[in-house]
Amino acid sequence: MSEMVKNQSYARIRNVFFFGLVVLLSFSCRKKGCMDENATNYDADAEVADNATCTYEPFEKTQMLTNICDNYIIPAYTNFNEKNIALSNSVSGFSSNPTTDAFESLKVSWKEALLSWQQVCFLDFGPAAFVILNNQLNLHPVDTDVINNNISLGVYNLEQADNNDAKGYQALDYLLHQPGMTSEDHVTYFTTNANAMTYLTDVVENINYWSNYILSEWTGSYQESFKSNSSSESNAQGSSISNLVNGLCYHYESIIRKGKVGLPLGAFNGFSQQEMPDLVECYYHQESLPFIVESINAVNKYINGASYNTGENGLGLDDYMNYVGATQNSNSLSSVINNQIDEIIEKVGQLNDPLSNEIVVNKPAVTEAYSALQQLVPYLKVDMTSALGVMITYQDNDGD
Amino acid sequence: MMEIKRWLHKLTFSEKSIAPLIVFRILFGIMMFFSTLRFILKGWVYDLYIEPTYFFSYLGFDWVKPFDLYGTSLLFGLLLLSTIFIALGLFYRISAIVFFICFTYIELIDKTNYLNHYYFISLIAFLLMFLPANKECSLDAYFGFTAKQKKVQAWTINILKFQMGVVYVFAGISKINYAWLFEAQPLRNWLKHQTDLPIIGELMQYEFTAYLFSWGGALFDLFIVFILINNRFRVYGYALVILFHGLTAAMFPIGVFPYVMIVSTLIFFSPNFHENIIAWIQRRIVNKSQNTSKSEIKTPVKNKRVTGALLGIYIFIQLLLPVRYLAYPGDLFWTEQGYRFSWRVMLIEKAGYAQFFIHHPENGMKKRIDNKEYLTPQQEKMMSTQPDMILQFAHHLRDEYSDTLIIEPNGAKIKIKEPKVTAEVYVSLFNKGSRLFIDPKVNLSKIDRGFHHKDWILRNEK
Repeated sequence: MSEMVKNQSYARIRNVFFFGLVVLLSFSCRKKGCMDENATNYDADAEVADNATCTYEPFEKTQMLTNICDNYIIPAYTNFNEKNIALSNSVSGFSSNPTTDAFESLKVSWKEALLSWQQVCFLDFGPAAFVILNNQLNLHPVDTDVINNNISLGVYNLEQADNNDAKGYQALDYLLHQPGMTSEDHVTYFTTNANAMTYLTDVVENINYWSNYILSEWTGSYQESFKSNSSSESNAQGSSISNLVNGLCYHYESIIRKGKVGLPLGAFNGFSQQEMPDLVECYYHQESLPFIVESINAVNKYINGASYNTGENGLGLDDYMNYVGATQNSNSLSSVINNQIDEIIEKVGQLNDPLSNEIVVNKPAVTEAYSALQQLVPYLKVDMTSALGVMITYQDNDGD
Repeated sequence: MMEIKRWLHKLTFSEKSIAPLIVFRILFGIMMFFSTLRFILKGWVYDLYIEPTYFFSYLGFDWVKPFDLYGTSLLFGLLLLSTIFIALGLFYRISAIVFFICFTYIELIDKTNYLNHYYFISLIAFLLMFLPANKECSLDAYFGFTAKQKKVQAWTINILKFQMGVVYVFAGISKINYAWLFEAQPLRNWLKHQTDLPIIGELMQYEFTAYLFSWGGALFDLFIVFILINNRFRVYGYALVILFHGLTAAMFPIGVFPYVMIVSTLIFFSPNFHENIIAWIQRRIVNKSQNTSKSEIKTPVKNKRVTGALLGIYIFIQLLLPVRYLAYPGDLFWTEQGYRFSWRVMLIEKAGYAQFFIHHPENGMKKRIDNKEYLTPQQEKMMSTQPDMILQFAHHLRDEYSDTLIIEPNGAKIKIKEPKVTAEVYVSLFNKGSRLFIDPKVNLSKIDRGFHHKDWILRNEK
C-alpha cells in the first residue's frame, strides 16, 4: 500500500515537473521583438513587445517638403496660372467678338479657373499669406452695389483693399450670372455698356496679375527656402512644416469650413442661427458644391503627399504622422483624417445645388455636412499639430 | 536629536566666506540683464502685455493688471536698470527689491506666460532681497555705502543651494511616472522631429534613444545636486550640468533656462573657487591698494531664532507646494490641478480645442464664440488644455454678456441677465488622440474659481 502511494506521488511529482518544464519552455519560446508596425524591423511573429529594439527610418523632412513642393505646389500653381491665362483669353475673345458662344465659353473658363483656385487656396502661408491672396481672389459675398457703382463711374482702383469684395472670382460670378438675365441679355448688357466690358476685363486682368505673382514667387526664390527651411528646433514657428500646417489649419477652419458652409448655414449667426443663404460661394451661379468638393479633395491629396498631376502617392504629412506613430483612439491618425475626409465628401455629396436653397429647404442635411466638416478641425488642429510638434507661436516654453 | 540640531545650526549660522554669494550676485545680475534685453528685443513686451485684451490672472492676484504702453515700457525699463545695479552692487538692496517687484508683477499679469524658470527667478530675487550680497566687490562697498564683510552666516549661501536642490530634485521626482519611464513620453514624440540635428540627429530615429534620454534626464535631475555638493565629484557633476543643459538648449525652444541653470549651479563650488574669481575681477578693475583693508567685520548678531524660524517657514512652503497635487483626485497630467509651481518641466505634450457657447435664456438656442475675438493664439492654445483657464475665460464671457440686450441680424431682441456658458473642449495628451475634456453640459458661469477639486473635468478614458 505504502509502496503504491509512494509510486503514485513520484508520478505526480514527475508530471508536475514536466508540466512546469513545458510551460517554462513555451514561455521562453515566445518570441520577443519589435511590435510597432511603423518600425523597419517590425516583427510580425513577435509575441512579446520589446519595442526598445525598434528602429525607424529617419524621416526626411526635407524630402517630404521637396515632394510636396515639386509634385503638388508648383504643378498646382502652374495649372492655376494656365487656367487664368485661358480665362483672360476668353475675356479678350468675348470683348472682341461678343457672341453668345463666346459668352458661354467665358463662363466655362471662369468655372475652370475657380476650380483650379480651390486646389491651391489652402497654401495659405509664405507669399500667399503675405498678400492675403484669398482676399485678392475669392472674397465672398461680393458687394454688388460697389461693383455697379464702379462700372457706372468708370473710375476705380482694384488694388485698393476696399475693392476686395468687388473683384475676383466672386465678382465674375455676379457679372456673368446676373439675376433674371439670360445669356443673350448678358451679351447685350456687355455690348451696350462699355464700362461693364472694361470692368470685366480689368477684374480678369487683376486675377491674372495675382496668379502670375504667386507662381513666380514659388518658381523663384521661395521654393528653395521652403524646401530647406526645416529648422532643427523642433518644428518651430517659421519652419516650413509649421508654416504649411498652420496655413492649412487656418484656411480649412476659417475659409472652407466656416466660409463655404458654416456662415451661410447660420452656425455663427448669433443665437437664432438664422440661415444666411446669400453668403454661399458662387451665389449667383447657383452652384457651390463642386467648389467645396474640389477643395476637400485637394486638401486630401495635399495631406497625403500625392502628386498633383498623376495622383501618385509620395512622402506627405500622412507619412510624417505615421512615422511619429500618431494615433487617435488607437487608430492611426492619418487613417482617421482620411476617413473623416471621406465622410465629408459623402455628406456633401448628398446635398443638391443650389446650396443657398438647400440650406433653407434641407437644413438637417447641410447641418450634417457641416458637422462632418467641423469634426475634422480638432483632428487637424489638435491631433496633427501636436503629433508633428508644430508650435503655434514662438514664445519660450518649458513644455507647459 | 542633538546631532541634527547641531548640524542644522552649523548649516545656518556658522561663518563662511562671502565669495560665493558675491559671484552669484554679479552673474545673476548680468544674466538677468541679457535675458530682459532679449525679451524686449524680441518684441514680446508688446505681444504679451499690450496686444491682448484679456489677461488670465492668478487667483488672489486679480488686481495685477498690465499698464498701458508707457507704463509697461517703464516697468521693463526699471527692470532692466535694476539688473545693471544688481550686477554692479550699487544701491543693491533697493535694486533687488525693485527687481523682485517688477519681475514678479510682470509674471503675475497673465498665466499664459507661466514658465517654471520665471518662477525660479522670482524666488531667487525674493531671497536676494534679504542676502548681504553687496558686502564685497560692489560699488556700495567701494563708495562706503555699506561696510565690507569677508564672512557671512552660512544660511545666506545654503538657502540658495537649497533652492537649486528643490528645483532639481522635484523635477527628478516628477519624472518618476509611468509615461516618462516606461513609454518614454513625451520625449519619444519630440525626439522624432530632431533627426536633422547635427551629429546626434542620427540617434533620434531609435526608440532606444528616447528611453536613454528619459532615464538619463530623470537620474540627472534626481542626483545632480548630491554630486555637486560632494567635493571630489563636483567637477564631473558640473560637466554633466553643462552637457545636460547644453543638449536641452540645442533641442528645445526653452529660451534662457539652460543658461540660468548652468550659471546658477556655480554656487556649489568651494569658497576658494569664488575667491579666485573675485580676486581676478579686482585685479582687472580695482586698484589693489584700495582693497587691502583686511577689516574682518564680524557678522552682525541678529536674532537667530527669528532667522531660523523664517528660514524654516520658507523651506516648508517650498517642500509643500510641489506635492499639493496629492490633495486632488484624478490624473495630474490630465487635470493639471496643482501642476504649476512644482518644477514639472518638459513632462507633457498636450493640445486642445475649445468651442464655447452662450445659451439663450429661454429657448435652447446657443451662440458660438470665436475665441480669436478675445484671445491671442498663444492664450487660446494655453487656455484650451488647462481647466482653470477654461473657467476663467468662461467667466469673462459671462461678464461680457451679462445684462446685455442683443439684437439679432433677423431683428429678434434677446435680453440676457446672466448667461449660461458651456464649452466643448477636446484635448489630446501625449498624442493619443483628442478626447472630450470637460463636461459639455456644465454651466461654467455658475462654477466658482478656487482651489477645490474641479469635478467637471471628465476622466481621461483610455
